[in-house]
Amino acid sequence: MQANQVIFVVLRFMRRPILVLITVYAVSMVGWILIPGVDEAGEPQRLSFFHAFYFLTYTVTTTGFGELPNTFTEAQRMWGIVSLYAGVIAWFYALGSIVGLVQNREFQRSVAERSFAKRIARVSEPYFIVCGFGNTGALLTRGLSEAGKTVVIIDRNPERISTAMMRDYPSEVMGLCADARVPEHLIEAGILKANCKAVVALTQDEEVNLKIAVTARLLNAGIWAVTQSTSAAHEDTLSTLGANVHIVDPFQTYAKYLGATIKNPKIHTLNQWLAGTPEASLDDTLSLPRGEWILCGFGRMGRWIRDALEAESIATTVIEPDPGPEAKRLENLVEGRASQETLIKAGAKTAVGVVAGTNNDSDNLSILLNARALNSDIFFVVRQNKYRNQVVFRAGKADLIMMPSMVSARRILFLLIAPLLKTFFETLRERDAAEADYIDTVIARLQERVGGTRPRLWTVEIDQHSAAAVAKLSRAGHDVSLAHLISDPVDPGRQLACLPLVLRRGADQSTTVLPKLDSAVASGDQILFCGRPRAYRLLEATMNNEYALIYIMTGQEVTRSVVLRWLAQRFPRLETAGG
Amino acid sequence: MNLERVIFGFFIVLAVALNFGFFVGEIDNPDHHGIVELFLAIVVNLIATVLKLGDRSQIGAVLLATSLVADLQLLAAAVIWAIAAHVDSAGLTPAVMASIVSLAGGALVANIISVTILVAETLMLRR
Repeated sequence: MQANQVIFVVLRFMRRPILVLITVYAVSMVGWILIPGVDEAGEPQRLSFFHAFYFLTYTVTTTGFGELPNTFTEAQRMWGIVSLYAGVIAWFYALGSIVGLVQNREFQRSVAERSFAKRIARVSEPYFIVCGFGNTGALLTRGLSEAGKTVVIIDRNPERISTAMMRDYPSEVMGLCADARVPEHLIEAGILKANCKAVVALTQDEEVNLKIAVTARLLNAGIWAVTQSTSAAHEDTLSTLGANVHIVDPFQTYAKYLGATIKNPKIHTLNQWLAGTPEASLDDTLSLPRGEWILCGFGRMGRWIRDALEAESIATTVIEPDPGPEAKRLENLVEGRASQETLIKAGAKTAVGVVAGTNNDSDNLSILLNARALNSDIFFVVRQNKYRNQVVFRAGKADLIMMPSMVSARRILFLLIAPLLKTFFETLRERDAAEADYIDTVIARLQERVGGTRPRLWTVEIDQHSAAAVAKLSRAGHDVSLAHLISDPVDPGRQLACLPLVLRRGADQSTTVLPKLDSAVASGDQILFCGRPRAYRLLEATMNNEYALIYIMTGQEVTRSVVLRWLAQRFPRLETAGG
Repeated sequence: MNLERVIFGFFIVLAVALNFGFFVGEIDNPDHHGIVELFLAIVVNLIATVLKLGDRSQIGAVLLATSLVADLQLLAAAVIWAIAAHVDSAGLTPAVMASIVSLAGGALVANIISVTILVAETLMLRR
């Protein structure tokens, strides 16, 4: 939409009413000039143009001061009737046209688009486009907003957009009611702007998501396209699009996660805590039993879970009412709906865990109740498909609740705001396999330095834009280390409640998990921090305030004034005298 | 032939014609400049302005601008006339008349530019 198209729409629309008004005024005024009148003395006198215009002004706007400047003759009164009605009708016509225009949907849409485009143009921070404001989209938007990021939501459903706009987000969230499949709408949402970091396609239809990802990739090769997909065909297409396209499969993600949790339950503790789950603390423990597991449902979720459990050499029995060719090949298959009978057949009395992973919430809940009646110690992983069933699932007290939209939203959120977290967990798992209790030492360290619940995760890039002071000092040859960064600028002897989790070198792209605090940082480095919100604010301040950073590094306040600096150079004695 | 172009051209040329009619004569002689002509010039100029609204081309924008200038000049002339005739006790002196007519002269220049653009555009399109 052109910059000032709205004003042209108004002008074109108002052309006829304004012409009518001018004509009515002109004809009436000519009439007033021509019709003879009399003055106070009874001498013939006509109205001047000025008086004619004055009379029209106060009558057609229905004010009415009377007959001015002199009492009218009968002929003038007749013309008065004509000009008054004509004028009032012309005014009603003009006002009615304006009201009609304002109520016109197309007009409202173009005004809304215009104001949206203005807001987009004003955004100078990095921002993200989320297409589809369903469960996953809403959770992701909430997460991004809490991390202080600007978000643009695109959804076809106007109700969803207005719901999103009613919510109270801590950062700027803009809504565009449009079809994200249309490239123009992505452009309107600002996909071509340099500070647009990623497009996330989360509509219900995976075909649509694929299309959005392809469009985004073609329009702007520099941004990330993130999408959710649970089918292999789509994933194949998407993976050919290049490095900046990321596909998130909630079931695969969850299965991997479950596998890692079985290996070491502390992974779960750490993940819940880092994700900011309310009330999740680092002291939480969960123990997943090793033994036989029962998988109810062998669909998109069941397959991945089975693979993950097999990889941990855990035996599984599958209960599936409608087994496909792949399921039929399984050794331990119980055909039928998950009921008391089939559960017993699958060995529920001796099994240690059950995964209720069908795509029907009431089935999953009934599996939970049935299995618990048979074996009260059984470990429960249950899939919750619909967000609105939250209360029931809470009441069911399963050990782990898997909500696909939550899994996707969390995964995408980490990908966008803390891409180094993946490296962190991967390294953690590798080290844990080699070195006993490694994860426990990491947790103990986090507990000591950060602690509490709901920590903040943030990524710092050492560059001119987001860490001006650090970039400047390191270019000048000073060694700025991580220990300097995390010192409390108020009292440099103390450290802020935060911990650098991963350091990625800009020079050679190498990553270090839990880097040593004396490592020097340089321009181009990326650091993932975890800490309390206060630490986040102070760290941001230190990195951008040269004087604070120098004070931390040397313990000295730098003279800020040029004149005083010159004086100090000239008369070194003054400085020592001054302290 | 296009009826819209006829009406459009008619009002623009009529505006310059009326404006010229008011303008000619000794500059400070009230007998040479009729108020009816000024009134008609204003009305026709306003109509011409409204007809130019909504044209989004570059030439349309310049045409609209010239019309707005002419409107402004003529309305200023009318306001001065009204003040001289009804408010100021001195009435329509030759000095006041001269300033009214020179404002109308400015409007005439704007109107001539407008007509020139119109003719140029018509010649350019040749249809």
